[in-house]
Amino acid sequence: MNGDEGSPPLKIALIGNPNSGKSTVFNQMTGLRQRTGNFPGITVEVKEGTLHFPSGQEAILFDFPGTYSLYPTSTDEKVVASVLTNPADPYFPDAMVYVADVTKLEKHLLLFTQLLDLNVPLLLALNMSDSATALGIKVNAAKLSEAFGVPVISISGRTGHNTMRLIVELEKMVHGTRDTGAERQALPEDPVYRVPFSMNRVVSTVNRPLFYPLTESEKQVSDAIRQNLEVENPYRALLIAHHSTWLHFLKPQEKETIATITSTKNFQSLRAQVDETLERYDRFTPISQAAVASPPTFPNTPTDRIDAVLTHRLGGPLIFFAVMMLVFQAIFEWSSYPMDWIESGFGSLSEFLTTQMPSAWYTELLTDGILAGLGGILVFVPQIAILFLLISILEEVGYMARVVFMFDKTMRRFGMNGRSMVSLISGTACAVPAIMSSRTIGNWQERLITVMVTPFISCSARIPVYLVLIGMAVPAIKIGGFLSLQSLVFGAMYVLGVLAAFASGWAMKHWLHRREHSFLAIELPVYRIPVWKNVLLNTWEKVKAFIVGAGKIILVVSIALWGLSRFGPGDAIEQADKTAQTEAQELKLDTLDAEGLVQQRRLEASWAGQAGKWMEPAIRPLGYDWKIGIALLTSFAAREVFTGTLAVLYNMGGLEADINDRSDNVAKATLRERMKKEKFSDTGKPVYTLATALSLLVFYALSMQCFSTLAVVRRETGSWKWAALQFVFMSVAAYLGAWAVYILFS
Amino acid sequence: MQRRYRTVPDLKVNESARAIAFDDSALACKLTSMGFLPGTRIEMIRKSPFGSAYYVKADGVRFALREEEAASILLEM
Repeated sequence: MNGDEGSPPLKIALIGNPNSGKSTVFNQMTGLRQRTGNFPGITVEVKEGTLHFPSGQEAILFDFPGTYSLYPTSTDEKVVASVLTNPADPYFPDAMVYVADVTKLEKHLLLFTQLLDLNVPLLLALNMSDSATALGIKVNAAKLSEAFGVPVISISGRTGHNTMRLIVELEKMVHGTRDTGAERQALPEDPVYRVPFSMNRVVSTVNRPLFYPLTESEKQVSDAIRQNLEVENPYRALLIAHHSTWLHFLKPQEKETIATITSTKNFQSLRAQVDETLERYDRFTPISQAAVASPPTFPNTPTDRIDAVLTHRLGGPLIFFAVMMLVFQAIFEWSSYPMDWIESGFGSLSEFLTTQMPSAWYTELLTDGILAGLGGILVFVPQIAILFLLISILEEVGYMARVVFMFDKTMRRFGMNGRSMVSLISGTACAVPAIMSSRTIGNWQERLITVMVTPFISCSARIPVYLVLIGMAVPAIKIGGFLSLQSLVFGAMYVLGVLAAFASGWAMKHWLHRREHSFLAIELPVYRIPVWKNVLLNTWEKVKAFIVGAGKIILVVSIALWGLSRFGPGDAIEQADKTAQTEAQELKLDTLDAEGLVQQRRLEASWAGQAGKWMEPAIRPLGYDWKIGIALLTSFAAREVFTGTLAVLYNMGGLEADINDRSDNVAKATLRERMKKEKFSDTGKPVYTLATALSLLVFYALSMQCFSTLAVVRRETGSWKWAALQFVFMSVAAYLGAWAVYILFS
Repeated sequence: MQRRYRTVPDLKVNESARAIAFDDSALACKLTSMGFLPGTRIEMIRKSPFGSAYYVKADGVRFALREEEAASILLEM
């Protein structure tokens, strides 16, 4: 069976409606042998996994986004139609597995019959057989197999029931179409794995009549396109006619040809789509009714009773906010331990290398550039992992669809979609995976606004900055004896981010003002206990998106900024060394303090220091001196670098390494003490007043200081234009906001 | 002039009626593919907390629809 090792691996597509349990089946079939790739041209991710056939042969299984039909309305859904209309596409499958929820079979067969007409070997997997049994639904798979002419298998992604049999049947089907008849006869016919009516019929699919016979006008359009574009399959030709405006693989002149054909034949695309859909239902409904026997349904299921509470007009939103509070509480509680381990681990490693390696620039590059960058990335992994774990659970259970339903109206007022809630909530961890989750929003404008405003939501990188500044500016008093003023201000920073997001959403809505169809229409799935494998894999995917997507850039920027703060123009650094040493001798500093002073003078003389001085006039109205300017610049690697930079600038000496250790209050207190002593060089007034600290807080809440986010925005919107606009817009907002706060409080 | 049909937003909570047609082809395309067909029994479950969206059941399957999506489904009297 391993005869064709030289040929490219078989490609199998997994296709189904949203909520068909397709991803669970995918995880069952591939285990952990999966990775995420990107469709070229369209920014939609597709998961691919390796499938091991019993014969030892391997195939690649692609998990396509869930869609209801080949007439898509969102970026996600368009992928399916765009791949299946183009046999030259690298993702075009050799065979397809259609996953249908057997408890809602009548609603899940539309797309199946569309696939049937594309004449690619197809297998129907009736998923959720466990639920069907529990509900007393009986399905005659043989009847379905006979009517549609494809193998039909009952499976359960949840319990893993029949996964192996599905893989075996899939291999038989694939070989049935690939090999000659003689070889097919030689296949082992294990009675356990046999599907009635299967094998002999698969081969006949090659020239089977269409399940949906095209209408006279559709036939004319389809025939004309088949002749002009050399498309073999009549239904594929019809789909090309429907989607010619946005299909990427069509050349401009081909699009023109199609436009001429559709206009001369007076082809009404939308009308034809609806008519075809209804005709398909008319044809497959009798088949499914004959094959499925369901007992009468009971009106008051557990899902109905849960929703009576969770989507209640008053209680629903209240419960949502309570759930969110619990989620945040969990993030802070659970993540503090692993974060401490990562921080102290990197701190010790860096210290070890400094003592073991020669004192040279490359040691500093390793410890202050690379290790600092890596540590800065990994320290956020616990928070991000916990948040996405909890979001995945809420999604798997079915709660997120209810959130989308409850807040759709509110979000639309601000130019977004109920689905934007998922992105905004994810934004509290990291904007990079959050922006990627906007792909389910069909309307381009709503999706764009979601992408543009998500970075306003306070992400985990802002937390360390908030903590230092609040600790300095806000007195540690309790209001009414129990409510800490500091945590109140901390909460207010989140509120500020949310308000900024909504305000800019509102502004963009009125500025863009596009009239385009926007859909909510979302299925509210039955509540289920989550499949833990799905939850863990999904969380891992998001964490990977952060580490790979954001991490790479953070690391590069971190190394570049190390260079800028380590080297200076001409012999400025050498000069700084000399001055520092003379100063240290005059002041009779001990070795530790002297070393700190050298660091401080070096940074002041470096390129970054020069830039800080150069930009001081611009940031003076906000109450900042040039040292804060340097910290603002170095924050571009990641916002939390702010505290580390200040530690160097204020000559924290030996405490410098401890400042990022959140449990080390001595280091923080020392930094605060040094910051409080800092005075403007010209006026002699203290730099860190309440006004400056509040102004900095507002600046950090609103500004766009993350290259990784800009890179993702560019990728998701397809142009630097929106990323640049976002950068300018957020910077201006941060500047004006910080300035207003400074004026107000000084 | 009296209307000869109702739409989904006209349904009271827990009331149901059969869909007969759609009055917007783009929405009809989306809704039919999700299983809203002429003849489908649509039951109003509840209205969304902030209005303008509806929780409905179509032949027993739960969906959330926006005001204009719901209003594009014409129901028998």
